[in-house]
Amino acid sequence: MAYSTSVNISIETQAENIIQEISYDGQEIYQPALSMSDNLSKLAQKIDFSKVDEDCEEPEVEIKSEEESKEQPPNVPISGWIDSVVSKLKRAATEICVISDVLAVTKEKRYMILDPIPTESIETKPMAQIYLRKKALASASTIIMSAVDRLRSSQNEFMRNRTTPDFHIELLRLRQNWRLKKVSTAIIGDLSYKTAGSKFGQSGMFEVTKAEDDIQSTSGISSSSPSTSPSHNMSISKAPSALRVTVPTELQGVSYIMVLCQKDQENIFNTSFNLLGSAPATPNPDMHWQQKLEAAQNVLFCKELFNQLAKEAVQLQATIPHMVVGNQISATVFPGIQLIIGLCHSSTNGNPNTILPSKTDHDHVLEHSLHQLLREVHHRNTHQPFPHPSSGPLGPSKRRAVAGPNAADRFELLEMSKTHTLLEQIIEQAQHFFMRLRTEYVIDTLAKEVKDPIIISHWNSLNSPTQACVKVTIVSHGFDCICRNSLVVHVMKKSLKCICRDGRVMYLSYEPQELRDLIFCQIYQHQIMGVQSVAKTQGWQCLASSSHLGLGPVEPMGNASSCLLASPIGDRLISVKCEPQGNVSVSIAHSPKKDFFGGQLVKERKWENLGGSFKKVRWDKMEGKNFLNKIELLMASLTNST
Amino acid sequence: MGVTILQQFPMKENRSGAHIIEFLTKRIIALGAKQCGTFLVDCETYASIPQLGVQRTLHVFHNSEQPASVFAILDNGTGKTVPVVADALFDLLLLKMSSVYTSKKSKVEIRGPRFELNDFVIKIGAININHNVKGIIVEAEYRPCVVFGLCWDMLREFLQGFLGSCVSNVPPHYFQNRINDIFQPLDTIQQYLDHITIYRKATGILQQYNTNST
Repeated sequence: MAYSTSVNISIETQAENIIQEISYDGQEIYQPALSMSDNLSKLAQKIDFSKVDEDCEEPEVEIKSEEESKEQPPNVPISGWIDSVVSKLKRAATEICVISDVLAVTKEKRYMILDPIPTESIETKPMAQIYLRKKALASASTIIMSAVDRLRSSQNEFMRNRTTPDFHIELLRLRQNWRLKKVSTAIIGDLSYKTAGSKFGQSGMFEVTKAEDDIQSTSGISSSSPSTSPSHNMSISKAPSALRVTVPTELQGVSYIMVLCQKDQENIFNTSFNLLGSAPATPNPDMHWQQKLEAAQNVLFCKELFNQLAKEAVQLQATIPHMVVGNQISATVFPGIQLIIGLCHSSTNGNPNTILPSKTDHDHVLEHSLHQLLREVHHRNTHQPFPHPSSGPLGPSKRRAVAGPNAADRFELLEMSKTHTLLEQIIEQAQHFFMRLRTEYVIDTLAKEVKDPIIISHWNSLNSPTQACVKVTIVSHGFDCICRNSLVVHVMKKSLKCICRDGRVMYLSYEPQELRDLIFCQIYQHQIMGVQSVAKTQGWQCLASSSHLGLGPVEPMGNASSCLLASPIGDRLISVKCEPQGNVSVSIAHSPKKDFFGGQLVKERKWENLGGSFKKVRWDKMEGKNFLNKIELLMASLTNST
Repeated sequence: MGVTILQQFPMKENRSGAHIIEFLTKRIIALGAKQCGTFLVDCETYASIPQLGVQRTLHVFHNSEQPASVFAILDNGTGKTVPVVADALFDLLLLKMSSVYTSKKSKVEIRGPRFELNDFVIKIGAININHNVKGIIVEAEYRPCVVFGLCWDMLREFLQGFLGSCVSNVPPHYFQNRINDIFQPLDTIQQYLDHITIYRKATGILQQYNTNST
């Protein structure tokens, strides 16, 4: 009842015969299979007819006895085995006779009575059942708990094993990030960039060995996973690694490329002194292999970069030749400005307490672009442009590949063949950097110096390493709707391209004075244009204007510009002259004058209409916030007084 | 790249090709042109083997102006031509096809000095067929323009300026249907082919041509 859902189990005998003998060579000798009659006799011998069971075996016995009784009538003792059967059957027959007699006697109920034996009924108490189940459950739970305990302990054991460095797991992680191969008994790795497209000769071989077993004592402190972010984790975890990585001595230590821009000659020697002796903090000798390999790879990269630059510096035919001295290259960017590229390398066994060079004056951006340039070269080496004809030569650019079918002419092909070396590119970037700096400086100082028209500059936030763009707007405060002048300056590598408002394009050299002069010219042109537009709004008439006045003293740069304005009725004149240096002179004339005194030459008043002499206005005493405002007020006062 | 036209210059009986080139060079330099190297256009002709049926002719050109390219014009015998502009590898391909297209062993070379005069490029070349000078050809290119119809008048005037009356007032036959098309390097080659065919046909015709034009 409690096991109603139990599984039925069927048990079968083996199909084989009984093994009679096993020989020494393991061969089993079976008994021959019994024949049908043998089997029957064997089964019959097994029957014990004397044994009378109470319940379940009775029908079987009856059946058997029936079978036997069928056999009985012939009653022929054919063989020996039938005798025992006969005797057993006889015994059974007598017993059955006795039983039938007893039953007959008891039927009459005179001499014999059958009474039921008071057997103990199985009491099914619910409480007992509950206890029983409880007990069964308890025993089952103890079994499960013990299994859980065992599992937990094994898990703990496993966890403890994980934190202690396992050589093979570490090796697996190393293998995920670095190239390794097995050479006889040693494991050799390669950290060079050759597979990434580098053609640098120096090899980046390193050897992986098993660390000695002095690491067993400290184990299980922290859980580190070097494969995910080793450089980040290593500062926290102190668990020593089971791997030991040996890099060649020339790749040990820390190295970096340093780019400096120097203005005057004296500094060069200082920096060279510093560069030679500079060494950053010596790396920890027992640092993690990942960091160690990364540092070594960086050393290799810096060496390749410097090697490439030095080679180019020697080959390039510059007007001022580039110098390669020791581990530094110096190239002239602009007259008086040097670009110094140095390779700093400190080996682990170097002296740890050297003075660091001041890190403020080196150029992070150029250093970064140097790295980027070499990576680009690597990338280009491995990524040939597609589609690529299988019969064509490897290497030419995509444009060169289609040059033939597109019938490119000589000039185009020449353009394609021009390549810039890394050094040229970095010099160009440095030149542009200086140009940008100078332009910025010129515009900013001008904006600071010149207050009257306001100079606003907008730098494009997106620019290329060798080109930037700035828009300079000149406006007068309060008159920005009436007159505004703008100028776009493209900052190139060695020159400036200025596009003025009227569409004129001017190319300026790297000298900052040129830009300064140009902006000054723009300023006074702005003033004259402003005067004219203010005059228009006031109803004054512009009689004449010239942006390049041929009169007056010779200006140090450009020409003065002037304009002549007449009041709405034409009786007043204003003359404005702007000089590029910022001087403004304003004169006014009345015609006719209010008071007329006849003279010997001018006898009649009508001649006064021809216009009189100009009187200079003391401009600095004029009311007004700025030049245009003063002009506006002057016009207003002249118009009013009529 | 601009518009290029070709113009034949008549050969005089008593003057060699080198003489005429020298004579024209003097005129050009007098105009203010500068010599910028030399030029070379060569043409090799291949014929298909008879087993292919109708005989096809393949003209393969190289032009020093487009040094990376090989021009091929296939004349399939029925008046239809197929032009191809290809890489320099085309020459190697022809070597492989030598069983189908056999060379006629008549190489035409046009070589001579190359001049630049502001926007114009002038080339004076002698046509060599199997190393015999057969004629003088003048190539003039006007670089800022790519449509023949827009600059023909100027080119004509320019050519007449130093070649004289041998330049006719009507546009060259090749451009009759292409007046407003955009000029391509292949057009230069087609003109060369036209001129070479004229020279090849017969020297008798050539002389007739010369006498007509002069």
